[in-house]
Amino acid sequence: MQLQLKQKNLSLLTLLLVSLSFISCKVQLVAPYDDGIMQQIETTAKEIDRFYLTMLEGTTEADNGRAYVLFQEQYINIEVELNSLLMKNKVKPLNGSSARICEIILELWRKYKAEHEKYNTLSDGLIKLNRTTFNDLFFAMQSAEKGKQIATNPPQ
Amino acid sequence: MSTTEPQLSEFNIDDILDGMVNAIKGVVKDNWEEVKSVTNEFLNRRKARLELLAELTLTGDLPLEKLQSRLEDEKLILEAELHAIAIISKAIAQKAANAALDVLYKAIKGIIDVVL
Repeated sequence: MQLQLKQKNLSLLTLLLVSLSFISCKVQLVAPYDDGIMQQIETTAKEIDRFYLTMLEGTTEADNGRAYVLFQEQYINIEVELNSLLMKNKVKPLNGSSARICEIILELWRKYKAEHEKYNTLSDGLIKLNRTTFNDLFFAMQSAEKGKQIATNPPQ
Repeated sequence: MSTTEPQLSEFNIDDILDGMVNAIKGVVKDNWEEVKSVTNEFLNRRKARLELLAELTLTGDLPLEKLQSRLEDEKLILEAELHAIAIISKAIAQKAANAALDVLYKAIKGIIDVVL
């Protein structure tokens, strides 16, 4: 009887230890919050905002003041930043949604750049619309990155 | 015999499950406002963008073919916003799952400490 009980307790203890080792592994559904990426998101968002505001306030459509070539270098610099952001997001596991948001931003950036190049000018209205679009997309990206902090914070 | 039986009875699965459910409820409740405020902000921003699109169409800045193209872009923006909400929801689910497992971990560890 004593031996049976000992064996029973030993089995239970083994089961508990095995369970404990499994439970001690944490569930991971999203990539951890990355402060470096968050800072790059903020910097790139500010750069794009400054780009469109400078174009709106500092130039006019008259006399080819908004010719594509005048802004080409800035377009390239910002595209480089967006590419870098995309790569950083893509290489992280469990980060497909953040990478997709970044892909969408890059896709629209290239589209609006191509439109500017095609028409070789940009009206005040379209500058405002592009600026608003990127502000809103970057807000989504910032909210997503900030949201990851919820998972990182230890349970109360 | 008399020393082992009371110890094992301390492993009350109903109490542990209650603790796990409460941990999940607490995490979801604490973070639900985050999802709500972000979603509301997305809706407000969408409203403002659509108003701007309408205004630019009326002023002639946005001819019909360009308007159609911009409305296609709205689908992409919506997709980006839904991805953001998905990330926040997954982060809450992750925290809730880990909080529940933490309750179970502590309960099992307590039993092991007693048995050992």
